[in-house]
Amino acid sequence: MSATERLVFRWDLDKTYLKSEFETLREMMRIPFEKAEDKIAAPGVAALIRGLREAALSRGRSVRVYFISASPPQIGRAIRRKLELDGIVYDGIVFKDQLHRLMRGKFRHLREHIGYKLTELFKARVAESPGSAEYLFGDDWESDPLIYSLYADVVAGRVDAVELEALLRAMRVDTPLIAEARTLAAALEPADAVRRIFINLERPTPPAQLRGYGARLVPTFNYLQTAACLYEDDVMSPAGVIQVARSLLDDSAYSPERLTNSLADIERRGHLTPAAHAALRQALTAAGLLAAPARPSLSERWRRWRRRRQEPARPVARLPAIDYRTMVGLQVPADAATE
Amino acid sequence: MPAIAVDAMGGQHAPEAVVQGVAEVSLHTGIECVLVGDGARIQQLLEGIAYNPEHIDIVHAGETIGLDEDPGEAIRHKHDASLLAAIRLVARGRCAAVVTAGNAGAAILGGLREFAQLPGVRKVAMASVYPRNVDHPGQDPLALALDVGATVRCEPLDLVQFAVMGAAYARVISKVEAPRVALLNMGHDAGQGGAELAAAHRQLAALAGLNFVGNIEGNELTSGKADVVVCEGLLGNIVLRLLESVASMAVDLTVSTAQRNWRWRAGMAMLASGSDRLRALADYASYGGAPILGLEHLLIKAHRRSNAQSIANAVKVAAKAVRDGVMREVAAAIAASGTQVERKRSRR
Repeated sequence: MSATERLVFRWDLDKTYLKSEFETLREMMRIPFEKAEDKIAAPGVAALIRGLREAALSRGRSVRVYFISASPPQIGRAIRRKLELDGIVYDGIVFKDQLHRLMRGKFRHLREHIGYKLTELFKARVAESPGSAEYLFGDDWESDPLIYSLYADVVAGRVDAVELEALLRAMRVDTPLIAEARTLAAALEPADAVRRIFINLERPTPPAQLRGYGARLVPTFNYLQTAACLYEDDVMSPAGVIQVARSLLDDSAYSPERLTNSLADIERRGHLTPAAHAALRQALTAAGLLAAPARPSLSERWRRWRRRRQEPARPVARLPAIDYRTMVGLQVPADAATE
Repeated sequence: MPAIAVDAMGGQHAPEAVVQGVAEVSLHTGIECVLVGDGARIQQLLEGIAYNPEHIDIVHAGETIGLDEDPGEAIRHKHDASLLAAIRLVARGRCAAVVTAGNAGAAILGGLREFAQLPGVRKVAMASVYPRNVDHPGQDPLALALDVGATVRCEPLDLVQFAVMGAAYARVISKVEAPRVALLNMGHDAGQGGAELAAAHRQLAALAGLNFVGNIEGNELTSGKADVVVCEGLLGNIVLRLLESVASMAVDLTVSTAQRNWRWRAGMAMLASGSDRLRALADYASYGGAPILGLEHLLIKAHRRSNAQSIANAVKVAAKAVRDGVMREVAAAIAASGTQVERKRSRR
């Protein structure tokens, strides 16, 4: 990655930045009346976003942080205040104008998520400088893995307008939104801009279910795992990762063991190299956040050496291309079942 | 709380059931588990199910001890076996207890090799839980039997020490102030069952601080008269297997009877909740696990047919035992009983 290219971080809001509860109608009804002080950010997320901006600015890189939400603009005030309270500097935030759609009698739009989010992402990309690199952050509640992957491949020119239209039709996206998406996609200058897609496993979805999206998409269980991968991509400093870990320990009652296990898990899943893992462990131990690992006995070291010779580290399978038709085929019945 | 080491490769349904059970625990409790076994296989299984990685570590072990392998041979030659690696994690202080559904003999020998025996304890005992009737509300529906196979032939002092350890375990786990301890015998008379059982009866009755209720016969095992039943390993193993087979036969009979004609099927449908309860009672694998007592660390042996739920239960039992200081209680009870013997040579 060039040190001069602009870094763009696009964040989903509910279930990614905020620990929003909308599993029941009652919880959903409560959201518009929540004050900023009532809203709870996911553990470590604020420290992560602050760290990303600091790391970019300290290296003289231009940086943009955007939020995209399917919530109505009526809750915008509380959200903006919440971001301010968390010390988040951002460059834009988009809400879904549900009331406007409702007044136009478009009830189906209330649930229409894919078309809305994809067109908003395209609009943002059209306004962005073509050389910028993007990192996308979502969750496993709605269709973020599909939307973000499709967006990344359309931007890269791997999915053309015809294919995009066919896929959106299969996903039963509203016709005007399909047309808008096609127009916007056609206006994009092809660039392999999306570096990684992080999916916060809030439900938690088994990571293997997202393997079809390839190695670009990283399912993470907490924001230390996300921070570690961003460190590996050289967009997060060790100090930033330490801040995320500290935030988890101080604000969310994490234990050093939980942090240690999280790092080991993301390495085992092939999203973090052993070298980056070792460097981060060293940094976190030096910061007093993790206990120094006990020195293994001679026989244990011999066993480990023998094992390393026998079993090379397992990389995540790098798929040549995402089979969106299969993904969409999987998606449609699931959506239909919830309607 | 320190972690629980879980032998991922032990048991008839391992590693799938073990990994699934630990994943369940990781989602619903704060218990930290270390899965020990084929690292790549464990990781592959985990990624296919819902789990919380914050509570799970994996330690690779390249070998597995089969359920029907000769325990002595396996312990001698398979140094990198998952069971031994899990036991070593406890011996070295990384974990607080081991859970295995694997080879029982290897678990006992492995425990004896890697852990010290409790000071003054002559032989170790493998405990097991079994369902019984309850006499009063709040009584634990499971009783503890020991030994069920670790020490085939016992001297009276061994039986006394088993009683002391079993009572201490039940006191903490079942929250019974003074667990009722009985000696399994062929009659209620103190002198019955031969010289060894008569001597054991005498010593148990004389032991202060133990709620010894005398002999118990085979047909009273499930009556709820005793919370802890003591016997030698050979007898205990036979009794346990018999209980399991009778329970399973009862379920099979019920099902096959119902299949014969529609009136019985209709009757069975009306009794569905009762037959489900019977099936649950007969499912020994679902009870989780019981300890091997007499070692300085906790080793929980789960049933070899354990499914994910029973592994989860065994891990929870282990975590509860660690949290409530069961091993401290057992050691203190042995020390207070005055039954310790000096061993000629002890490991470590």
